[in-house]
Amino acid sequence: MTLVAEPGLVSAESEAQPRGHGYGSYVGRKVLGSLGSLLFMLLVNFFLFRVLPGDPARSLGRGRMTTDAQREAFNKAYGLSEPLPQQFLTFLKNTFTGDLGISLQYRIPVSELIRDRLWPTLLLVGTSTILATVIGVYLGIKGAWNRGSKFDNLSTGGSLILYSMPEWFLGLLFIATFGVGFWIFPGIFPTGGLHSPDVDPNSVQGVLDTMWHLVLPVTTLTLAYLADYLLIMRSSLLDELGEDYLQTARAKGLRDVQVRNRHAVRNAMLPTTTIIALNLGFVVSGAITVETVFSIPGLGLLTTEAIQVPDFWVLQGTFLIAATGVILANLAANLVYGWLDPRVRT
Amino acid sequence: MSADSSAAPAAQLSAAQLARRRRTAAWRRGWTQFRAHRSGMVGLCILTIFVVAALAAPLLADRSGLDVTAANGPVLGPPSSHYWLGTDENGRSVLTLLIWGARVSLFVGLLATLISMVIGTLMGLVSGYFGGFIGAITFRVTEWFLVIPFLPLAIVLSTVLGRGLFNIVLVIGVTSWPGTALLIRSQTLSIKERPYVERAQAIGAGRRHQITKHVLPNVMPMVFANTTLTVAIAILTETTLSFLGLGDPTRTSWGTMLDDAFQVGSITTGSWWYILPPGICVVLVVLSFTLIGQALEEVLNPRLRARQ
Amino acid sequence: MLGLLLASLVSGLAIGSPAAAKDKVVFHVGMLGEGVDSLNPFLGFQAPSYEMWGLTYDYLTGYTMKDMSPAPGLATKWTTSPDGKTWTFTVRSGVKFSDGVPLTAHDVAFTYDRILKKGSVEGTNWLSYLNGVTKVTAPNDATVVLTLKQPVATLPLLPIPIVPEHIWKNVSEKEVKTYKAEPTNGKPVVGSGPFRLVQGTADGSTFRFEANPDYWGGTPHIDEIDFQFYKNDDSAVQALIKGEIDFVEGITALEVKSLQSQSGITAHNGNSPGFDEIAFNTGSVSAAKGGHPIGNPNPAVLDPKFRHALGYALNLPQLIQKVYQGAGLPGTTIVPPVYDKYHWDPPSDQKFTYDLAKAGALLDAAGYTKGSDGQRTLPNGKPIGTLRLAARSDSPTSLNTMDYFKQWLSDLGIKSQVSTYSSSQLTDEIYQGNFDAFQWGWFVEPDPDSMLSYMTCGQRQGSSDSFYCNPQYDKLYQQQHIATDETQRTAEIKKMQEILYQDSPYLVTAYSSVGEAVRSDRFACLVPQPNPGGIWIEQYGVYNYIHMKPAADAGTCDAATSTAGDTLTGAVQATTGGSSSSSASTGFLIGAGVVILVLLVGGGVIAMRRRATAGDRE
Repeated sequence: MTLVAEPGLVSAESEAQPRGHGYGSYVGRKVLGSLGSLLFMLLVNFFLFRVLPGDPARSLGRGRMTTDAQREAFNKAYGLSEPLPQQFLTFLKNTFTGDLGISLQYRIPVSELIRDRLWPTLLLVGTSTILATVIGVYLGIKGAWNRGSKFDNLSTGGSLILYSMPEWFLGLLFIATFGVGFWIFPGIFPTGGLHSPDVDPNSVQGVLDTMWHLVLPVTTLTLAYLADYLLIMRSSLLDELGEDYLQTARAKGLRDVQVRNRHAVRNAMLPTTTIIALNLGFVVSGAITVETVFSIPGLGLLTTEAIQVPDFWVLQGTFLIAATGVILANLAANLVYGWLDPRVRT
Repeated sequence: MSADSSAAPAAQLSAAQLARRRRTAAWRRGWTQFRAHRSGMVGLCILTIFVVAALAAPLLADRSGLDVTAANGPVLGPPSSHYWLGTDENGRSVLTLLIWGARVSLFVGLLATLISMVIGTLMGLVSGYFGGFIGAITFRVTEWFLVIPFLPLAIVLSTVLGRGLFNIVLVIGVTSWPGTALLIRSQTLSIKERPYVERAQAIGAGRRHQITKHVLPNVMPMVFANTTLTVAIAILTETTLSFLGLGDPTRTSWGTMLDDAFQVGSITTGSWWYILPPGICVVLVVLSFTLIGQALEEVLNPRLRARQ
Repeated sequence: MLGLLLASLVSGLAIGSPAAAKDKVVFHVGMLGEGVDSLNPFLGFQAPSYEMWGLTYDYLTGYTMKDMSPAPGLATKWTTSPDGKTWTFTVRSGVKFSDGVPLTAHDVAFTYDRILKKGSVEGTNWLSYLNGVTKVTAPNDATVVLTLKQPVATLPLLPIPIVPEHIWKNVSEKEVKTYKAEPTNGKPVVGSGPFRLVQGTADGSTFRFEANPDYWGGTPHIDEIDFQFYKNDDSAVQALIKGEIDFVEGITALEVKSLQSQSGITAHNGNSPGFDEIAFNTGSVSAAKGGHPIGNPNPAVLDPKFRHALGYALNLPQLIQKVYQGAGLPGTTIVPPVYDKYHWDPPSDQKFTYDLAKAGALLDAAGYTKGSDGQRTLPNGKPIGTLRLAARSDSPTSLNTMDYFKQWLSDLGIKSQVSTYSSSQLTDEIYQGNFDAFQWGWFVEPDPDSMLSYMTCGQRQGSSDSFYCNPQYDKLYQQQHIATDETQRTAEIKKMQEILYQDSPYLVTAYSSVGEAVRSDRFACLVPQPNPGGIWIEQYGVYNYIHMKPAADAGTCDAATSTAGDTLTGAVQATTGGSSSSSASTGFLIGAGVVILVLLVGGGVIAMRRRATAGDRE
């Protein structure tokens, strides 16, 4: 991942494709491509988890399921003794009907587990991404436009440091400073979890309480993503600023701000949009570490917990969700890019 | 006449020697430009300190300091004259762990990057240079791998392969090549269109010749710049994987130090000397690689240079 | 948006302060480690799930606080026929389920019948307690009769939750596999236990229980229990210090030590009935008929004399001190001393001590003499090679123990190598016999029968991870399993431990303890189980939840007596004033100061450099 905006993904592809008929066929091609990605991902998903070591019946049943008959019954109940190709076909059929199997560890449907754990992750990650995009893009534009100014140097320097820091380490620092507290810093924030005990999460007080718990985690993730977006937007805009057409715009008499917003930013937004949309897909992965540090019961934590058993179907489910998210974000980015910049539709 | 006097020395140099001389001049130019980038130089300085410390680890801190059974220090003791950075929960000196941990963190980062760059460059070259079926297939595979969420994949692979130093190297290498491949691909595509390549084709130069003599040397600068940035990501990834509990438990790296510090509850017990130094070291090393990489990109990327 | 932020800040501060004077007494428990995997008592495996069932349902028999021996539960008394094949339990009257329906012997019979059904999912967890039972009947509302084909010594240990027939009869065999048994639409789960689950779901992080005021075992002195599951130690401990929770379970010994200096908090390491061991491959064979050898154990570990000699090379006190941070006891046999009735204490002439010279002498006598290179050889002269020591990567104790073991082995002149595995990987390796030694642990139930069974020949490639097989041991196991004479049975159990101690398939290294801490300025009267020295929650039974009191009323703790009549000791006393604010650690002042300095310096350097080059670049 380079810090310089590289619209390589889209523009390179445009050179390999024959000239088409405009947006419609472009959309069609992109959707088809995404379906192919989806199928490949399903294949990888399935076989990868079958290679995991450990027989769940034995791992779970240490000391409890003492007879072979008990273990066989367990395997039969959860379909673990069918031949591999048959398991895959069942898996495909079930996935498309929404049945993601039953968690070996919790004995409840995986789709339910995911549904329960989905919203904390979405809340955490969605809020952070929106905040980071808005703030990061804005600061990046301001920095690039006032290149070399104190503001630019500070924001870029700060971003570089944040970019070099693992986001969970930042989280730990926040916990130590604002959760536990020391010196002049009050430890007023909760050190983890999503709800205070005693508070009904569905009441008004509960919603505010949840927001209170999310302040530190969201701040952590926002800062982590913000650094990335700021640097990308800045370098992308700097690229644009060197272009000739801007001189023309200035010569025509357009004010600075107009030049900036109407021309430079708009064109610089294109590769930025692509990169941000791509990063959106990886945002789920980033949530894993922050959820661990702050004990947020979301999808990321679910994944890590499921590895130990190994809980095949939960792992398949979370992987599916994360990868589908990336594919969809990819598709959306391509469609938006194709709509904004007709040049790539060929 | 000038023609004669210039013809004579030119004839003495073979084509290869001429090429080499031109390349050396280019390197020197690049180095001068790089030196002008203060941030890049800062990064280089910081990195050098860490690399030297890692290489000189046996001289700086006795290896027996890593042995749990020989540890005599106080449990989670604060910094003292004897233990400059205090001790961990086993009584080992944190400074010793830090220095030896540098080795593992840097080693994993560099080796994983090597694997990633080799795969990425290969895939990028192939998909960029070859049209038709081969090119399309490799491009598709690259795209598909790019789509798979990185950290969950790394977690699962780690579990499959088991915890160990080389396994982590493999996991990071195998999951981080798509970005490089795409970059190389777009570079290759643009180079392919260049006049001199077409001319070489016209003369009848074979594919291998074109790739190795024309495409590769022009792609290499970008590869080089991208490498430093990839190392930064590899080190961050190793730290994260180790923190999540997937690192090699028999070796100390900065990531495993942070994992241990976290598990032992160092925030509660106030053992800041255990949890802050490894994190700061990671930040500094990754920052230095990033600064170097950024400077290299500005030096080596003709598009960016044209900005001035 | 700013307004919203301010609003959340204000309400957050209001919520964050310790629970103001409430009408209800709520006991907040913070749990670490694994969570609740199912609220359905027929499906769950993990320890916290048992705690949830224990609060919701009742058992036929309970446990004493002293040593977990059987005590009356739903059954007030029980008798056995002279041949031991019929057990008759008298079920107490007046017990009601939370929806008002009376609990009778029919509910007991219904529950047990489901378990006894062949191949049922209910049997997975509970069949072992009904070992040998052929029939369960309820001739009337107050009597349960168990018919066995041969006597079983584990009875009357019956920690099986009794579920209401009128609810569960609508859950078919197929449905029970996914039946959640959770509160629905705000209505609590129907059970007869001291508390009712009003909110909670499997894998959730919060569980809320309300007290059952009509509980037959006494009205609880608290109104509500709130379980909160934390994913990392620091959050939980900080929450305790700040007063967000009143109890934290499963912290490390280091955290216990740091909490002991906090006022208002009482922390301890409670002895729990579990042990850690170094286990050897005593002869891995396939469980199939014929039992041919599998795997590749080192010939040395197959020899009981070799293993027994190594018992003198373990410095257990040092292990407890360094690896367990002082929390725990040196190990001896597989029946922990908390079960003092069945525990066999090796006499001094047999007991292992840390004596390298003796270990060396025993090895020499067994034929493992030192070669010219200082390394020991097999009796046939060939070198021993490198012993493979397997440690579990998810347990620092496991890794450190094996590191020490490697050191001690090398002191004896034996080479070894430590490799790490995840728990599931290790289970696989053990199953195939590809190991020499590994480190693991067990939790031992109040009746040692199950633990003892894991060392029988029939459990190899099952629960026997050492592949130990000794016909003499097996014979004793069968005898004690059906023994009706208590004294004889105890003697047999002790003899079995002696055999294991001599043959050393396991070298028991430590008896573990669990770190717990409670806000003694808010709650008191918690009694440890076993008594004294044990743990406060996740006990066998839910005594403390019923008998604990708010600190203000602690002067009159319930008269705590065991069934044997002797007083229980070690009840948590109320203490005064804990601070609800965080501990100001000056260390962090320095530490974070450094971080801020680095950030400022780094940012400043970069800013300066950029300004310098900005001129060049423009």
